[in-house]
Amino acid sequence: MRLTRRDRLLLFAPLVILLGGWLVVPALVGLTATLTTYTPLTTSVAFARWQNYSDVLHDPQFAEAVRNVAIFTLVAVPLELALGFGIAYLLRRPIRGRSWWRGLLLLPWLVSPIATGVMWHYLFSGATGVVNFVLGWLGRPELGSPIGDVRLALASTIAIEVWRVAPFVTFLVLPGLVAIPEERWEQATLAGTSWFQRIVKVALPEVAPLMLTVGMLLTGQSLGAFDTILILTGGGPGTATLTPALYSYDRAFVTNDWPAGAASAWLIAAGVAVVGAAYIRLSGRWSR
Amino acid sequence: MRAPRLIAVAAVTGAFLLPLAWTGLAAVGVLPDDSTRPPSWTGPPTLDHIAEIGVAEPTFWQELATSTVAAIVAACLTVAVAIPSAFALARSRFRGGRTVTQGFLVLASLPVMAYVIPLADLSRRVHLIDTFAGVTLAEAAVTAPLAVFVLHGAVAQLPTEWEEAALIDGAGVLRILGRVVLPLIAPSVAATLVVMFVLDWNMLLVPLLLTSGEVKTVPVALSDFFTFERELDWPTAAAALMVSLAPLAVLVGVFHRVLERFVLQAPAGRDIG
Repeated sequence: MRLTRRDRLLLFAPLVILLGGWLVVPALVGLTATLTTYTPLTTSVAFARWQNYSDVLHDPQFAEAVRNVAIFTLVAVPLELALGFGIAYLLRRPIRGRSWWRGLLLLPWLVSPIATGVMWHYLFSGATGVVNFVLGWLGRPELGSPIGDVRLALASTIAIEVWRVAPFVTFLVLPGLVAIPEERWEQATLAGTSWFQRIVKVALPEVAPLMLTVGMLLTGQSLGAFDTILILTGGGPGTATLTPALYSYDRAFVTNDWPAGAASAWLIAAGVAVVGAAYIRLSGRWSR
Repeated sequence: MRAPRLIAVAAVTGAFLLPLAWTGLAAVGVLPDDSTRPPSWTGPPTLDHIAEIGVAEPTFWQELATSTVAAIVAACLTVAVAIPSAFALARSRFRGGRTVTQGFLVLASLPVMAYVIPLADLSRRVHLIDTFAGVTLAEAAVTAPLAVFVLHGAVAQLPTEWEEAALIDGAGVLRILGRVVLPLIAPSVAATLVVMFVLDWNMLLVPLLLTSGEVKTVPVALSDFFTFERELDWPTAAAALMVSLAPLAVLVGVFHRVLERFVLQAPAGRDIG
């Protein structure tokens, strides 16, 4: 049906008000503020051009944060997609109680990021943790918590993120796999293809656009990694797990350097915008 | 082929749920004892630790209620705002319509941290800070782009004949949306409501930075009662974690069939109309 201009205005108005007032306007006001000397406490404001951004980009701590979040995203997102897809593939054909397995598997994602941090803090620690309990059974000596170890801290946060997010990928990808017509599988089976070839030739082409969409969501969220790491390590030890989001939070609310906090937060948005532009181009090409 | 697959599914599920099972055991007082070789378990199961949450954090139950009401209001607001937009987006033909829809997904993947710092400052200036309305409106805005994307997919799949027929009968656009489209996409709307509730319930940054303690939700409470200076003992912490997970687990358990309708349907390359 064709909508008139007036219809469209009426239908979009609530969303425009909500997103405008609580997302677009604050973001743009923030952008403007970071080009000045504005802070919530100052009364006089002067134009500062790109000074705040230049300060952040020259801060070695921010460079560490960018490096960490790049590793975090490049390792965690492919692992989440692969693991999530693999589990969804297992659940593709009906098995006894499939919707219950699906619900149970979603449980790790239901644990809030903040609660995830709290939980793994204890699970990794010596006296209460699951890791040392298993090692004790195997007769091995106890280990210190990996989140306190400079070399293992980032890997630990990645592992925890994969644990929490891979089940969500399964939840999102499974409907796409189930929707593949049965004939496609039968044809492939009759042609004598192996299970691996069936994944590559039948499953992946069908769910590729969906995986791309899910990958976009995961990448954006990874670039803003915050809650779990805040509780688990606070960015430490040293700067081993510092992310741009933790850096922004720390600058804006802990060290009271509001312009640096707001500016580095805008750099996260810029990163997501770049990935987003690539996503829109790529998805446009694939659906043609 | 069937039995090995069932075993594989059970093994994977078990591996993913082991940390939660460990936490669940600790919450009822069953703890590992590492001093013996091999390690053993202590304690008869008890529900005392759930009562101890209220001792460690006297306002915990109040916070649970705040979280529940805020998440319900925010999820309903998000979906109510998203439905007309999703409908308009799916039924309008304009250049770049596909890009706009994909733009909503990119917006949905934008971390809250990217804009919450100026949002907190603006909220303070317009006196929305520390108010229930301020928190729920901001939460609704955070999750709205994802809801628009999912509901757009649901509307785009519908045939347009019913809408055309209603139009010929002289129905207005709001009437068509409410009487014709909404009943057809009801399962997707329900699934979106559940997922939005989960996202709102678990949100940290918005309630953390838009309040100074008046509207305190469970994630905010967890973040400040587990600071390292004031560390809780593990069984009480585990009990708090389990209590804050329980409502979501029940919700997903009840709606597990409907949740199959939460589908990320990328807009097709062809014209939708």
